[in-house]
Amino acid sequence: MIAREPPAFFHRGPSPLARLTFFTLAAVALMIADHRFHALDTVRTVLSLLAQPIQQVASAPSEALGRLAEYFSNQDRLMRENSELRTRVLEQSAAAQEARLLKAEQAHLLEMTQARSRYADSGTIAEVLYNARNPFTRKIVIDKGLGQAISAGMPVIDGTGVVGQVTNVGWFTSEVTLVTEKDQSVPVMIVRNGLRAVAVGSGKVGSIDVPFMPVAADIQNGDVFVTSGIDGTYPPGLVVATVTSVDKNAAYVFAKVVARPAAGVDNHRYVMVLPPAAAAAPRPEARGDEAPRKAGKDRARARRQP
Amino acid sequence: MSQPLRPADLTPLARDVMKMPASIGLIFFSFVAAYLLMVLPWSGAWLASRPDFLLLVLLFWSLHQPRSIGQGIAFFAGLLMDVSDSMLLGQHALAYVIAMFGAQVFRVRILTFPIPEQTLHILGLTLVSGCVMLVLNLLLGADFPGFAFFVSPVVTAILWGPVNWILYLPAVRRRRGATS
Repeated sequence: MIAREPPAFFHRGPSPLARLTFFTLAAVALMIADHRFHALDTVRTVLSLLAQPIQQVASAPSEALGRLAEYFSNQDRLMRENSELRTRVLEQSAAAQEARLLKAEQAHLLEMTQARSRYADSGTIAEVLYNARNPFTRKIVIDKGLGQAISAGMPVIDGTGVVGQVTNVGWFTSEVTLVTEKDQSVPVMIVRNGLRAVAVGSGKVGSIDVPFMPVAADIQNGDVFVTSGIDGTYPPGLVVATVTSVDKNAAYVFAKVVARPAAGVDNHRYVMVLPPAAAAAPRPEARGDEAPRKAGKDRARARRQP
Repeated sequence: MSQPLRPADLTPLARDVMKMPASIGLIFFSFVAAYLLMVLPWSGAWLASRPDFLLLVLLFWSLHQPRSIGQGIAFFAGLLMDVSDSMLLGQHALAYVIAMFGAQVFRVRILTFPIPEQTLHILGLTLVSGCVMLVLNLLLGADFPGFAFFVSPVVTAILWGPVNWILYLPAVRRRRGATS
């Protein structure tokens, strides 16, 4: 520390220590406001709007490289992909026809009971710009935002399953928190027997935990989890994960179940943002914070209680 | 102007040169360039070793231009990084402000040393700011990201020499132009 202070000839403003105290308090206040009350979303939006041109310039070279690589990509690979896709279309057309039939049937039934369909008809296709540059969380940034009517809480899927949930929206981009993010929970059920559970991200690449499954629960390797739809965020029936290991040890109250996310959570180029599921049953009581992630946690907590 | 510029003959001269105030344009441009480097699409191992260019430029100007660049600028630069790295608002701000405080307090001491010793001082400051970020995130419930997290502060400090060289260049050119 420098003990000597300069003579007070010149106006120098507050001392470094005073400034440090002031800015530390300001930073802590900001963090609390952001973390506890989510009060700074407008600040975030405005700041990200300011930084947008530079971000665009920064991501331009890699994007251009990617496009160039795509342009010169192997004829072979394209043909193989094409034939693969064609067979998949054939495979799926039967299912699609059946789905059309089922949908008509469902519409008929819904009409009779005067309820609304839980399924949304359309989504927004978005391109993944980059992984969020944050070593602590698992998020991706997509190229659609407020301009395309994206809002926080919307589920995001790709061709094979649930990718995650929109958690932050800017003007031109939004952040999607992946299902593998620590404590990101999705209410799921097993396709085979309808057993309900909550899939919770582990924070590691390609792994999802399913906590609080009783040792006696009927669950085995290869079981497929789909969204159960009871949270009103994800429409029911989207594939979330496949069970990769079940550790049933009688010494513990719960079985240790680990699953692998179905969607290419870490390597997709295009994803689809679904509109929020049509209003489910009203929630029992209004709570203070309505942020989607928090709400997911609350629901998970609520489910654990008898 | 005839012989090429070597980093070696810069350092003795440099302290003197930098007494001339750097132009606001250069300072602004250096911040824009640093931010641009920060928001390249880093990911994976690259992200873990991404040097904090913005912190480097902040430290450089707070050492050489203490009247114009201080904790306030660091705070706002930090907020900008929080938004673009999708972190909690205020984390980078706090880390930067603390590092800047260190630079301000040890300014005279750091400037008496040549670049290699300065690098060690900068390493201390970058490690402190890295630790602030780490502790904040651990408090928020994140998992420890592994010791690879400390690669970034080290790489940042190693870049102190090159950053010095680059940011000195315009001032040296100007001076040489004036004397010859």
